[in-house]
Amino acid sequence: MKKISRRSFIKTAASAAAVSIAAPVVLPRGWYALAGAEKPGYFEREFGISDSLCQKVLVKALSKGGDFADLYFEHTITNSLSLEDGKVNRAYSDVSLGVGIRTVKGDQVGYGFTQEMTEESMMNAASTAATIASGKAGKSASKFTWLKMKNYYPLKKLLTSVPLESKLPLVQNANDKCFALSPQVMKVNAGFYDQQKRILVVTSDGIKAEDLQPRNYLYASVTAEKDGRRERAGWNIGGRKDFSFYTQAVVDEISKMAVDRALVLFEAVQPPAGEMPVVLGPGVTAVLLHEAIGHGMEADFNRKNLSTYSTMIGRQVAEPFVTIIDDGTMPNYLGSINVDDEGTPGQRTVLVDKGILTSYMYDKISARHYKVKSSGNGRRQSYQHYVQPRMRNTIMLAGPATPKDVIQNVKKGIYVQDVSNGQVKIGEGDFAFYVSQGKMVEDGKLTAPIKDVNIMGNGPKMLKNITLLANDFEMNEGGSGACGKGGQAVPCGFGQPTCLVKSMTVGGVKR
Amino acid sequence: MNKELYDLVAWTVKTAKSAGAAECRAGVSSERFVNISYRDHKPENIKEATTKQLGLEVFVKSRYSIQTTSDLRKTALRDFISNAIATTKLLAEDPFRTLPDPKYYKGRAKVDLGVLDPAYRKFTPEDRHNLVKAIENAALAAGGEKVISVTAMEYDSYDELLLMSSNGFEGYQESTFYQAGAQMTVQDEGDRRPMGFDYAASVMNSAMPSPQEIGTSAAKRTLSLLGGKKLKTETMPVIIENRNVSRLLGGFLTAMYGSSIQQKRSFLADKKGKKIGSKHFTIIDDPFVKGGMGSRLFDMDGLALKKRVMVDAGVLKEFFVDWYYSRKLGWEPTTGGPANLVIPPGKRSLKEIMKDLGRGILITGFIGGNSNSTTGDASIGITGELFENGELVQAVAEMNIADNHLKFWNKLVEVANDPFLYSSWRMPSLVFTDVVVSGL
Repeated sequence: MKKISRRSFIKTAASAAAVSIAAPVVLPRGWYALAGAEKPGYFEREFGISDSLCQKVLVKALSKGGDFADLYFEHTITNSLSLEDGKVNRAYSDVSLGVGIRTVKGDQVGYGFTQEMTEESMMNAASTAATIASGKAGKSASKFTWLKMKNYYPLKKLLTSVPLESKLPLVQNANDKCFALSPQVMKVNAGFYDQQKRILVVTSDGIKAEDLQPRNYLYASVTAEKDGRRERAGWNIGGRKDFSFYTQAVVDEISKMAVDRALVLFEAVQPPAGEMPVVLGPGVTAVLLHEAIGHGMEADFNRKNLSTYSTMIGRQVAEPFVTIIDDGTMPNYLGSINVDDEGTPGQRTVLVDKGILTSYMYDKISARHYKVKSSGNGRRQSYQHYVQPRMRNTIMLAGPATPKDVIQNVKKGIYVQDVSNGQVKIGEGDFAFYVSQGKMVEDGKLTAPIKDVNIMGNGPKMLKNITLLANDFEMNEGGSGACGKGGQAVPCGFGQPTCLVKSMTVGGVKR
Repeated sequence: MNKELYDLVAWTVKTAKSAGAAECRAGVSSERFVNISYRDHKPENIKEATTKQLGLEVFVKSRYSIQTTSDLRKTALRDFISNAIATTKLLAEDPFRTLPDPKYYKGRAKVDLGVLDPAYRKFTPEDRHNLVKAIENAALAAGGEKVISVTAMEYDSYDELLLMSSNGFEGYQESTFYQAGAQMTVQDEGDRRPMGFDYAASVMNSAMPSPQEIGTSAAKRTLSLLGGKKLKTETMPVIIENRNVSRLLGGFLTAMYGSSIQQKRSFLADKKGKKIGSKHFTIIDDPFVKGGMGSRLFDMDGLALKKRVMVDAGVLKEFFVDWYYSRKLGWEPTTGGPANLVIPPGKRSLKEIMKDLGRGILITGFIGGNSNSTTGDASIGITGELFENGELVQAVAEMNIADNHLKFWNKLVEVANDPFLYSSWRMPSLVFTDVVVSGL
């Protein structure tokens, strides 16, 4: 298991995360929560968004009836630096400002948004939202109380106030390190991305919540050449981190992962096609858990009877050693949220408890349908988008076996180290993933590297077919991943231990 | 031309120049849209808004940055521009970063693209609701007892794009867009609930099919997924249905970009003038298709566009090379990406072709998968229908095809006569032989 031992950096970080699942969040000494350090009321200070204005707009949104309405203000600043051909020679930045206004009646949604923070524009957008209802005017609270929230991503400093001169060397160093690691490296692309999203949610039932959601990552991508053949691979690390997270050790880890992963592809073959056991390595392969299993547990698909899990609450969906959790409270991970995008605090939701399906992931609309509380999964890409139930950090907890036990159980199959381009069909549960890094498993041992192959299966079947879980839980440490649903992308995290699925379709070559 | 947008972009160019930009290019895109969906005979979502985004590219002493914003308050924009210039000055020099030589702006075609529907202003809220209701009703009627859920939707917009550079380029385009469709879920055996859909899209309302056709087709496509099975791995002919060709061709196209070639990640880099596919494989980039969804006269560099044969009867003729990578490669620029991508249709219908082939799989959907632009290796999941003696006999799911692009396009033996016109990639169905379809 040479591959796993190489990930010592990641393992350390993952074990810290694993502890945090059970423990309350304690801020490291000397750090502070920006939400506490800054007075609330950013949108009032910067854009004049007062309680009385919010009430006026909410009254307009409910002027034709409706169960409730909410306002979602957003001011997001995104910066990225990229390197090509040895120099950091491209910068990109984006400012996104706007407010989305939503009127909800049962499961019906009226939505308007504007990029102008003027009363006139907001009232127009509220009129649009109001058209979903046709009845007696509804009521809005006139006073709004700040929601009590914890901070799962404390920062020493805003990344927007970190000077460019401090960010540039990270990217340059990643480039230099990649070239230093192998003479076969021909091209390196590297970059640093940071986003600072400020939101304010104001609801007609009198809640207001403000949050500052950072998101950042450093990446390197390498093209290498050997005997006239070229291969390419990359790696990134990030999340909702403070800038001090990005040390030389992180630069070194990213560079080494990118170069090693490109070089191993020269030895890689396409595996034989057919049905076979599949071992999923720890960490990043949990994207399968997210796609093939997690999406089917989002409450909107179940409320509409579209998901294969629609009738399965309370049923045994996996072996008793399988527990799956969607957790918005893991410090500094990509999917963590202090508050969701409709004003429900960030929290941890057990989806599958010792093999039994116990909960879906709810936004307010689906929570009302099921007569439960929202689980804080109501999320949206931006002020231009509707709220949908979305995952946060979706994880499968560790099991009793060792990674070696798991591999030894396989006579002939594949070991998957990394996947990309996953897609799932919610109703059938069918999914397909592209294996970008992996190995053959022959007689209980890892052998030749494999690449460029699709694996296909069925989510509920795969969940039932998990026959062994190891004790090596890892979180995916990437910061670039975003999940797409209904045309909206939101950042999500995921993690799992080494895991044996007894049968899946491998779309390799005919032998 | 919209004067408000023109003044905003012209002000941005002027302000950036006076704040220290040696050269700059600014643009604004604006969209007014409406989006309505219905489920259970009532509106599920109604959404309407106008969006505007301003983009600014700054060139200072061979240094370059790009910024976008939706905060169009003049005071905020002044800060935005001065920040952009300050940031740019800190970057490394890149001598290849310049605005294009203005000679490439010249010769813009004088054709009417037919992308603005004069009837758009007459498209009322009532029309929209009636359209969506009719699609939902048609889908429900055609879906029958197996239906669990139908969502019908429409999206329409009026769009404007204005681009201006400090070395003399000005371009403006206004267009309209209509899209309508339905998504259906049906009950299959056990817990399986296949979801299918159909949609149509066009710049002209008159070119849209009737709501009855859209709804009925969505139902038909969804019902065809019932009983989907994985078959034994087999080498056989496959037909990729017109609307799905773009997914596979997209992997091939990635290797045709100047950036992929210059960055050594294109399996086509040394294949210009060489045979990379069968004689049936021809790709044309035609920016001037009347009413085409990708039709335009200039690209985002401002380069005047031309119709180009990219692949001619299996021989690779051209790459998509924008201004920046043309300088890095030392080549002539073409354009940064396709406008309308066309594979010229063949003579026979899908039905006639299937009858001739006897047995094979008609691929009606892809799932997951990837294509490696550096090596050309690709692997992708498929759904579709097995046909025998020209008749569809069995729904197929959870199967896969894997090949290398340099081999795969040589297996193209026929092009059908059915181009899909509701996309800027106007692809007919394509017929391949000797494809390994892996399953059990």
